[in-house]
Amino acid sequence: MEVALLGNPNTGKTSLFNELTGSYEYVGNWTGVTVDKKVGTLKKQMGQLIDLPGVYALNPISKDEGIASQYLLENRFTSALNIVDASQLSRNLHLTVQLLEFGKPLVIGLNMVDVAKSRGIAIDVNQLSEELNVPVLPIVARTGKGCHDILNYFSLKNQHVSHFTIDYGEKIEKAIENISDLLHEEQLNHRWLALQLLQGNRVVLDHIKINKGIDIERIQRIIQELDKHIEEVEKCSLVRTIYSKRKHIIDDILSKVITREKKSDLTFTDSIDSIVTNKFLGIPIFLGIMYFIFHMTFNWIGTPVSDWLDGFFSGPLSGWIGQGLQVVHATPFIRALVLNGLVAGVGGVIVFVPQMIVLFFFISLIEDSGYMARVALVMDRIMQAAGLNGKSFIPLVIGFGCNIPGIMAARSIEQPKERLITVLITPLMSCSARLAVYSLFAGAFFAKYQALVVLSLYVLGILLALVMAKIFSLFFKHEHSVFVVELPPYRIPNAKTLFRSTWDKSKGFVKKATTFILGGTVVIWLLSYAGPHGLNVDIDHSFLALVCGYIAPLVAPLGFGTWQAATALVSGFLAKEAVVSTMSIVYHAPHSGTLTGVISQAFTPLQAYTFMVFSLLYIPCLSTVPAIYKEVGTRKLTWFTVTYCVVLAYIVSLVIYQGGRLMGF
Amino acid sequence: MILTELKKGEKATILNLSRTTKLVQRRLLDLGVTEGEEVCYKCALPFGGPCMLEVCGQCIGLRRNEAKEIQVVRT
Repeated sequence: MEVALLGNPNTGKTSLFNELTGSYEYVGNWTGVTVDKKVGTLKKQMGQLIDLPGVYALNPISKDEGIASQYLLENRFTSALNIVDASQLSRNLHLTVQLLEFGKPLVIGLNMVDVAKSRGIAIDVNQLSEELNVPVLPIVARTGKGCHDILNYFSLKNQHVSHFTIDYGEKIEKAIENISDLLHEEQLNHRWLALQLLQGNRVVLDHIKINKGIDIERIQRIIQELDKHIEEVEKCSLVRTIYSKRKHIIDDILSKVITREKKSDLTFTDSIDSIVTNKFLGIPIFLGIMYFIFHMTFNWIGTPVSDWLDGFFSGPLSGWIGQGLQVVHATPFIRALVLNGLVAGVGGVIVFVPQMIVLFFFISLIEDSGYMARVALVMDRIMQAAGLNGKSFIPLVIGFGCNIPGIMAARSIEQPKERLITVLITPLMSCSARLAVYSLFAGAFFAKYQALVVLSLYVLGILLALVMAKIFSLFFKHEHSVFVVELPPYRIPNAKTLFRSTWDKSKGFVKKATTFILGGTVVIWLLSYAGPHGLNVDIDHSFLALVCGYIAPLVAPLGFGTWQAATALVSGFLAKEAVVSTMSIVYHAPHSGTLTGVISQAFTPLQAYTFMVFSLLYIPCLSTVPAIYKEVGTRKLTWFTVTYCVVLAYIVSLVIYQGGRLMGF
Repeated sequence: MILTELKKGEKATILNLSRTTKLVQRRLLDLGVTEGEEVCYKCALPFGGPCMLEVCGQCIGLRRNEAKEIQVVRT
């Protein structure tokens, strides 16, 4: 059994998905959280559940919506689960009607009945089920209430196929009939296909075109004739006429199932919005929130815990492991590998987990509360100046966690040009892996102003991204920008969701440190241990020092022309945390104390800042490159993205370092 | 009159949407925003930034230059 989960954006599909499959997928309170198809196994092993991006209608505008339509056309799923927002019934039912026309077994999960109730909307569930001729199950996906009923429903063998048809009027019905006749070779519901074609659904048209036996030209002629006729008679487009017919039926149904109590609803959301989207306060508040988050991450919670962890790793833990290895009579080679390679390298990255957790907690809080869509609104004017729109800012904020989901989040942007440019600039966003580099350097050189220094790097990333966006947009044909954003009501974030979301993101960081970084660390250590003159050589005569000694002069004008820095930057391409793990190895000397101490000897504050800037910009990491390729679609553009980042990093670092020197730093 | 001429918090009925950009029109239709619906002009951000509207029981953000193409009548 395969069940497809469909519904309007931000109605809680992924929350329901997580409840029904017992898994955890990314959830949030804005439009466009899910941009890809996700597969999970229903509890009790009943079959598979497919989570799809949210759509308002089956005729897609943005790329993520296209994924949902494509799925309907290409997959032979058993039944559809349509999640409907009870507080927005009228709008949601437009999609439901189209799904009913599709003709597969359908069940409606009526979500947010609690929200509707608080707004004074009472819904007669039985009546709604009768009117639409499908089962309707009330649920609260966020708390899991009622989700059991859905599972029980799917365990029934014979599922209900609805027969729900709307009479679109004589002329349209005739055209549907004529088109259906031409579609006899198609497996899918002919009436549904015909209606989607009449609405100008491109994805459906492309799907039909594959089938050589269908006379496309005749179909298009029928549509054109009808369009012309409707335009003349009804004085409005065919698409609008179909919409109006549906709306008429929906309004009729709603008048029978909804009873409204007069209640002032949006007050809570209204009062928050009057502050955070205030004319003058909007942008300062956003910056203030970001500064507060960094202050919590670095000065108040994250760093103190990290420092303690660092002391523990380089002190007692190394001691215990060393004694343990002595007890089992490990060879000096193994001892050196474990202590100087693994503990120093991987441990050097793991110590930053506390800071990650704090940062991820706040990012999750922004995602779950509903503030994300307001950020898009507040930033729209600035983004417009850069040739983008406010929605492009959401991928950038997500990119602070990790660039990969950020790049994917660009799919929800309607305009192709703006979508592409957003993908191109997202790698400039300072992801959490780069945070490890900042933590190390800012901790060593700018202990008092850590939050401010790190904030400056984030802001620099955003500013450069905007400048680049402006430059890129000059190379594109001018197209009309589209900015329509739904601002969902605020929600008190759910503790469970916050915890899982924070954990899920932090888990990725720990996992990467113990697999990818671990492997890289072993290689780096071996290269630093071996040299042309054998094993256990002085590190300055190792293969690593020799090879990276050639790269060092290239970055010398930027102020860090040592082979150690060059090595760190080379391995940083694998993952930005590797900059830290590599430094832990190359600067590791017995009894040298913590890495922070060694680093503060090796760099000047200006060199340290330049190094941070260079690490921020210089290249998208190895895992980000395929994600960019997937979104931009061509090798050429992928290479372009990687190259412009390197060039930009070099120029900006050069200006900062040489400029700083002139000013006497 | 046009939508942006409304004062903050004022309500009006939409008369004509057809002068907005095609994609914006489709998106608005997706959100249930059509002629005849009641709209409340909530606020606008500075320097010609977007405005916030309440329509069909939901809050939406829209570019000011698009909002200027929407004709309304005070209710």
